[in-house]
Amino acid sequence: MIEFKGVYFSYVPGEYVIKNINLFINRGEILAILGGNGAGKTTLVKHINGLLKPQLGYVKVLGMNTKEVSVAKLAKQVGLVFQNPDHQLFAETVEKEVMFALINFGFPPEEIKSRTEKILRGLDLIEYKDRSPFTLSGGEKKRLALAAVLCYDPSIIILDEPTTGQDYNQKRNLAKLLKRFNEEGKTIIIVTHDIEFVADFIPRCIIMSNGEIVADGPSDDILTRGELLMANKLLMPQLVEICYELSINPPSIKFDVVLSKVRAIMKGEI
Amino acid sequence: MRVFSFQYTRKSSIIHKIDPRAKLVYLILFTILVVYYSNPIILFLIFLSSIPMVVLGKVIDRWKISIRSALFFIIFIFIFNFIGIFWSTGSLEYSIILSIAMSIRFIALISIFSAFFLTTSPEDLMQSMVQLKIPYEYALTFNMSMRFVPTLTRELQIIMDAQKSRGLELERGNILQKVRKYIPILVPLIINSFRRAEMIADAMESRAFGASKERTSFYTLTMGRKDYIFIIVSFISFFAILSLKLFFGIG
Amino acid sequence: MAIVEIRNLTYRYPGSTKPSLYNINLSVDEGEFFLITGPSGCGKTTLCKCLNGLIPNSYGGDFDGEVIVDGLSTKNHPVYIIAQRVGLVFQDPENELFCTSVEKEIAFGLENLGLPREEIRKRIEETIAMMGISHLRDRAPYELSGGEQQKVAIAALLAMKPKILVLDEPTANLDPFSSKSVLDLLSRLKGEFGMTIILVEHRLEIVAKMADRCAILNNGSIALIGKPEEVLYSDEAEAIGIGIPKVVRLTKALGIKNRPLSSKSLANFIMVRK
Ligand SMILES: Nc1ncnc2c1ncn2[C@@H]1O[C@H](COP(=O)(O)OP(=O)(O)OP(=O)(O)O)[C@@H](O)[C@H]1O
Ligand SMILES: Nc1ncnc2c1ncn2[C@@H]1O[C@H](COP(=O)(O)OP(=O)(O)OP(=O)(O)O)[C@@H](O)[C@H]1O
Ligand SMILES: [Mg+2]
Ligand SMILES: [Mg+2]
Repeated sequence: MIEFKGVYFSYVPGEYVIKNINLFINRGEILAILGGNGAGKTTLVKHINGLLKPQLGYVKVLGMNTKEVSVAKLAKQVGLVFQNPDHQLFAETVEKEVMFALINFGFPPEEIKSRTEKILRGLDLIEYKDRSPFTLSGGEKKRLALAAVLCYDPSIIILDEPTTGQDYNQKRNLAKLLKRFNEEGKTIIIVTHDIEFVADFIPRCIIMSNGEIVADGPSDDILTRGELLMANKLLMPQLVEICYELSINPPSIKFDVVLSKVRAIMKGEI
Repeated sequence: MRVFSFQYTRKSSIIHKIDPRAKLVYLILFTILVVYYSNPIILFLIFLSSIPMVVLGKVIDRWKISIRSALFFIIFIFIFNFIGIFWSTGSLEYSIILSIAMSIRFIALISIFSAFFLTTSPEDLMQSMVQLKIPYEYALTFNMSMRFVPTLTRELQIIMDAQKSRGLELERGNILQKVRKYIPILVPLIINSFRRAEMIADAMESRAFGASKERTSFYTLTMGRKDYIFIIVSFISFFAILSLKLFFGIG
Repeated sequence: MAIVEIRNLTYRYPGSTKPSLYNINLSVDEGEFFLITGPSGCGKTTLCKCLNGLIPNSYGGDFDGEVIVDGLSTKNHPVYIIAQRVGLVFQDPENELFCTSVEKEIAFGLENLGLPREEIRKRIEETIAMMGISHLRDRAPYELSGGEQQKVAIAALLAMKPKILVLDEPTANLDPFSSKSVLDLLSRLKGEFGMTIILVEHRLEIVAKMADRCAILNNGSIALIGKPEEVLYSDEAEAIGIGIPKVVRLTKALGIKNRPLSSKSLANFIMVRK
């Protein structure tokens, strides 16, 4: 589905920003990419819709080698939402902002109308449809940027830092929305610094450091490995920290699991 | 996306250490020469005279980028000049020579300016402007606009990537359609620039910008031996090239 | 002794129809670490700008009530006067640093104040030593990592010897490790130098235990204010929808009477009970 094989990329000749990336993502998976500032996360995901092409190795998406197809063709399958909505909002109204991609991809007029309406409803933006995108709040802009990509129904959705500047309710809504899309069979990749968000909502995660993938696996395994996280500029989720403090073994990222273990400790069972 | 890469990079070289005011003398003198002459050979000579600075300043790579992008514009400059001159004079030979001269003049100018800006830190330049009694606010504005060039280029890249990801194809279509396609890129770029300007203004005010009429200059530039030597060498080369016309009638 | 005193502050941006801050009353004591949090768009940034006088002096708009810092009312004094008492750190370090070396960045504010050269030299040395950034001294700020940039921004303000440091989501774009090191630095500034710190932050897991007091802003008004444990353990906090740390959720679910804010203290309470 998405396959990276021995991928290297550099912006400045000789200084590889991502190195020897081998990665396989199945249809319908939902996963997070974690790592310190400058680890190469954004660079990696830009390879999936062909904005960047590997200098060594190859990237295959839905059977297409990204070197052989145009960004426009890939973009229709791979929706990439950038971190800062201010880098892409430009239209006079919220509605037109959403229609932009639909027009680019040549959808018929009736469908453009119906899809725009549907996604604006889905993301609670319908009441703003005639407002200028620039008058929206930070959180709303972020949702609009998401709507502007989700509208054309890409089968792979990539979000770069979707949770910055969002409050807890908005994050939870985002997680719900992504879950819904995931259940419809979409593949979802989230780049983030927000460990608590990943621990709460995302089942698989990848850790990057210095351009390399240093860990890849289920979140309830990776996020409980304290030394691994600390060595890669991350911190433990607070539940895991609590497990370490109380020597609960194995540690867990699940609230209910930790709760019952702590109860057991308090009753003197452990 | 890099056009005329005038962006200063920090390096240590003899040329970097020369006082900006001394380099400003060079810049002015040689710009005068470039404008004054229209003989292709002498213009080429002036162009060559900027190369030692580039080499000693260790900025060959970036200079090459400037020259390469200048070569691209040359084609237009040559064609437009040729058509214009041929139209008004009707002389083929004259038109060709003059158009070549115009093209070399352009390259020489780019080369001289690159040599200057690539080896002069915007801040030192600002300081020398202040010491030359240009008001601090103007000098600072200039410094800022240099400082934020790379930020802006990076932002442009991100915006283009973001819109391409939404299916924008810049290459397709006729000229009119192409121009329209730049709207989704220019609008965010402009809006972000304003927003950035506002944020920078806030940050500056928060550091007591404008507090004292007598702003201290902690870093002052003082001209030393090497700077005077540089100025003298610039003047000698200037008069040497000028004498070609004045005494030998060449050019 | 209150060093920041906000009285009946209501503020509306020029061109806006409704106020972004509504009837705020707040006082912060000297040497206090005060945490502000709240949902997106609730007015946190606006409040920060009120604290150093950018609002109303540079923004205009309708400004009602009074903000008094270190005895000065912000509406009667230009920003550069207030700025010497209140250092403001922004969310995006890229736009608050504009010099070509860290040293020059630190000198900028001091030059603006028109201090004598010797004094500037002395303060640069002091600040660099205090922040432990001598290795960055000659680097260009825009080449540094986000965490380093925020430290430089803080250093540049500290050199001006403000009594109060206000930080607006200083870690929003930083990775967890860099965030923690910036936040730990703040705790040190309070502990070792008695700085008054007012911090806007969402990462309550890290920061709640550092704060002396905390306020939740909602829709432009202060919804809750008090000791962090009082605020975070209240039911209103949950309803407003800030990210309640797991320690708090767990403690509540366990029905423990104490109100720990860090994993360590929760563990202690549990071990003691046992
Ligand atoms: N357009 C570019 N030109 C040159 N270097 C770049 C460019 N974009 C990124 N880099 C460099 O590549 C490295 C990896 O950057 P990238 O943006 O992929 O990191 P990231 O993991 O997304 O970091 P962050 O968490 O800060 O977003 C960094 O060292 C960065 O400075
Ligand atoms: N320059 C401005 N002009 C007009 N209205 C503004 C301006 N800046 C902010 N606002 C409005 O004021 C309100 C509060 O904004 P503010 O930026 O203070 O929120 P915030 O709590 O910092 O949010 P966030 O968590 O997203 O940073 C919002 O409704 C916003 O739209
Ligand atoms: Mg990134
Ligand atoms: Mg804010």
